[in-house]
Amino acid sequence: MNAHGMTDKTTTPRVLVFACRWCALVGADAAGRGRADLPASFRVIPVECAAMVEPDSVLRALASGADGVAVMGCHLGGCRFNDANHVALKRMEALGDLLDTVGIGRRRLLLSFGAAHEGRQFTEVLGAFFRELAPLPSLAAWRKTLLNQPSFR
Amino acid sequence: MSETLKTIREKAENLLAGGLADGVLCLGRDRFNVVQPRLFRKAEEIASLEIEPKWNLAKLAMQTLRALEKSFRLTVVCRGCDERALLELGKRNQIDAARMTTLSYTCGREQAEACLCARPYPENPAAGEKIAGVDPFGDPRFAGPLAGDDDTRMARWTGLLSRCLKCYGCRNACPICVCTPCKLEDDLWVERSAVPAEMIPYHLIRAFHLSDTCVACGACQDACPVGIPLLALQLVMRRSLREKYGYEAGLQADRKSPLLMDFEHASPVGLTLPAWTVSSEAPHER
Amino acid sequence: MPGVIAILCRCCGQIEPAVDLQALRERIGREAGVVSVEFRDSLCLPEDGAAIVKAVESSGADRILLAACSPYGKAGDVVSALCARGIDRSRVRLVDIREGCAWIHRGDQTGATAKACDLLCMGLGFLRYGGCSTDAVVAVRPECLVAGAGSAGLAAAVSIARAGFQVHLVERAAEGGGMLKLISRVYPTDVEAAEKLRPYLEEVERNPRIAFHPKTRVVSATGFAGDFKVRLASVTGDVNVRVGAVILATGAGVWLPRGLYRYGELKEVLTLMELERRQREGKTAAKRSVFIQCVGARCPERPYCATMCCPSSIKNAVLLRKADPDAEVTILYRDIMTPGHILERYYRSALEAGVRFIRFDPAQPPVVSGDGHVERVEVFDAISGVKREIETDQVVLSTPLVANADNAKLSELFHVPLDGYGFFREDYSLHPLETRQGGIFICGSARWPVSSAEAATQGEGAAMKALAILGRKEISALSLSRLPEGKLGHARIEDGACSGCGNCVAVCPYDACTLQRVGGAFVSRANKMRCRACGSCTAVCPNGTVQMPEHNARAVGAMIRRAFAEGDAG
Repeated sequence: MNAHGMTDKTTTPRVLVFACRWCALVGADAAGRGRADLPASFRVIPVECAAMVEPDSVLRALASGADGVAVMGCHLGGCRFNDANHVALKRMEALGDLLDTVGIGRRRLLLSFGAAHEGRQFTEVLGAFFRELAPLPSLAAWRKTLLNQPSFR
Repeated sequence: MSETLKTIREKAENLLAGGLADGVLCLGRDRFNVVQPRLFRKAEEIASLEIEPKWNLAKLAMQTLRALEKSFRLTVVCRGCDERALLELGKRNQIDAARMTTLSYTCGREQAEACLCARPYPENPAAGEKIAGVDPFGDPRFAGPLAGDDDTRMARWTGLLSRCLKCYGCRNACPICVCTPCKLEDDLWVERSAVPAEMIPYHLIRAFHLSDTCVACGACQDACPVGIPLLALQLVMRRSLREKYGYEAGLQADRKSPLLMDFEHASPVGLTLPAWTVSSEAPHER
Repeated sequence: MPGVIAILCRCCGQIEPAVDLQALRERIGREAGVVSVEFRDSLCLPEDGAAIVKAVESSGADRILLAACSPYGKAGDVVSALCARGIDRSRVRLVDIREGCAWIHRGDQTGATAKACDLLCMGLGFLRYGGCSTDAVVAVRPECLVAGAGSAGLAAAVSIARAGFQVHLVERAAEGGGMLKLISRVYPTDVEAAEKLRPYLEEVERNPRIAFHPKTRVVSATGFAGDFKVRLASVTGDVNVRVGAVILATGAGVWLPRGLYRYGELKEVLTLMELERRQREGKTAAKRSVFIQCVGARCPERPYCATMCCPSSIKNAVLLRKADPDAEVTILYRDIMTPGHILERYYRSALEAGVRFIRFDPAQPPVVSGDGHVERVEVFDAISGVKREIETDQVVLSTPLVANADNAKLSELFHVPLDGYGFFREDYSLHPLETRQGGIFICGSARWPVSSAEAATQGEGAAMKALAILGRKEISALSLSRLPEGKLGHARIEDGACSGCGNCVAVCPYDACTLQRVGGAFVSRANKMRCRACGSCTAVCPNGTVQMPEHNARAVGAMIRRAFAEGDAG
């Protein structure tokens, strides 16, 4: 059992993080330099801006083995691309509605705009996300079951 | 014959006879007694015009306009949902509203309940009386797909969507789905020749693309050969847009979707962002 | 077919044992398309650069995967150095397995190694599909448009002309001078406003590089930094100009305090501007005057301080006292805003000159009364707590500057947003005098109410910014970026795939996408010069028509699929 109250074997949730390189990626970097301790089951994809993250990519991630997806951008008003992150936040929130509709749940989508600039913040935000995801069923396992059903391929 | 049908026939006939329209797009009964879409060109033909069953013509209207010469004046006979679909198509530059008029009519109670429609009427109907809509969230028939907790819903939707034959009927029937090429046919997003279509890549991508443009016409689920209640996928998103931004697709011709505009130009009800330095963080603790 | 060389950096021992590099090497070596896997102890020491290039060349690989430390540190410099040696940026991918893996998962070698494998596979996937934007180069028009011939515009125009470039100075009035034409003297020197203006106006007259267009307005504008096409309209006809940069110096408007302090009802209740006009015209001054500050400012509708009203009132109060030592002058204020030592001295000189200052609380504003003509002002003195009655012949109301009524039109024409008060919005605190659009600058009261001296300073600043563009023979789209390392790329719209829905047009913060008619339909076109590569358009395009080659959907999709080894492969 690690500090986050989770076993870090296959039961550890897998998280794909889209991190804006002006803020969250710096936070992730600082977390590393500060020798923070996070489960090894997350992967980071750096982006120029949270606006660049397609909601379809988030869906793709959830269908490719991720149990949760984090989209991290700058705080509103602080985007280097002048409010590009506003639309990103709104669209991701709408995506949350859709995820709720089908029961995948918006809990599997973490939106952090302006809360992960520093190492400690990044660690806290991601750590909290891991804790939330821990009790949820594994999406990867769910998908495997689906793919193993009789079908035409 | 219903009053509504009578009125529509009269008006359509007058349009054609008076030379005010070159064609009226509606349903027609052919000589085999089959009802299907038809482009009426002569007033004499109107006797076979029908308005039942529900058949969404917006996409057909768009395609018809593209096929006909520029000077063709088309009138589309439509229900409320079709009218909203036409409005959205206009907003997305697929239809030139100036080349088309509508002859719209209201739906009756039976139809409204069958569609679980909250707005079974056009804005200014040429025929029929407006009746109150049905609230899908309050209807027990609708509660089915949306009821229960996350896990229950996920199990249910997994079951429902595993019936999918990947016939693309929903995409083809949807008046808003007009992209060529379509992402759903791109191997990058949706695996070719894999049936059923995977829930997340196919159905959720399509559903999300329609988040702010779906007009709840139900053509998708009407077309689905295995009876998946596809419209239910859209309703929570539509309700959020209505509650947060006062936005409903198909109703406001001069308003762009709030999902395409920053918070200054389209802010949620009750929330103001007065200065650019004020930060609003999406809560990460739920 | 060429492939990928994977170079795994040991970071001088800082990566092992947290990440098992041997296992990593074996795993990566098995990947299709990898022609070579090499270890290095470091990538960032002086001799490493040449060695890396040599290794790449001898492997025959055409793409490079680097597994090393963070992009914010040395590894970022390594990549830049490689690119400086001529290697295409799209052919190098840096994967952070130190800060992002070894250091953050020290206690879990299995997990960290698995993660490093996945990260490298993601990098490979990206390298396979990552592309490169084609640059566009435009010749820079060595001319500048300055809209507005007030203090700011005149200073800007003169600076640019003296630097050797042609200026089109556009002014809606018949003469230049702006608000300085309306006032008598300028604070804190008390020099006559006309005197202040004269050298600028003479230069405009004299300098062949300044083309002055009086009674002219801008009616249309298209283009981008380096080449703006602007249409100017005047009574004598329209003129088209092509300029490399635009400076908006259209100043501010005067606000009339209708409904406040009996303005418009009682005679001799004036605004500061009206007093200035009287001073200019040499009309006899009133014996007794009361100035009221912050009229219509620092209130809910206009919660700002306009910075100029206090020094202006002080200036006029002292002038009244100097003209007539028996004149009674009182200034009713909320706060006296005279920052800096010069203005502080100015304020104190007013006290020495016998101007009376009485402070009031905004909750208890002064009351102006009279019958037909103003007679007295009652004020609750907030410092002494005493109610005072001042008999007066004249009440002068200090009102703030407000946004020029023309700003909205110009904002639309040039795609430059306004702030909540109607002034032109400056772009982000790191870029003073710049707007959201490259090549368009703002200065003076068009940007925010300022004194004429400050406006002139800003005008010169805007001129400097414009000259940075005008001074170049040509400009490339990829270099038009405010990011130190240049733009990532720009949006590319695939032929024949666009349905014309307009989503990209709606979301672009820079109005870089426009819909154009092609055949019977609409198709979107992305302007490479205006595009800043934020990616907003790519995220809202329903069928992926618009992509940025450096971050395209196929490359990102490959990364996502390979993120978790048990997910999709390939």
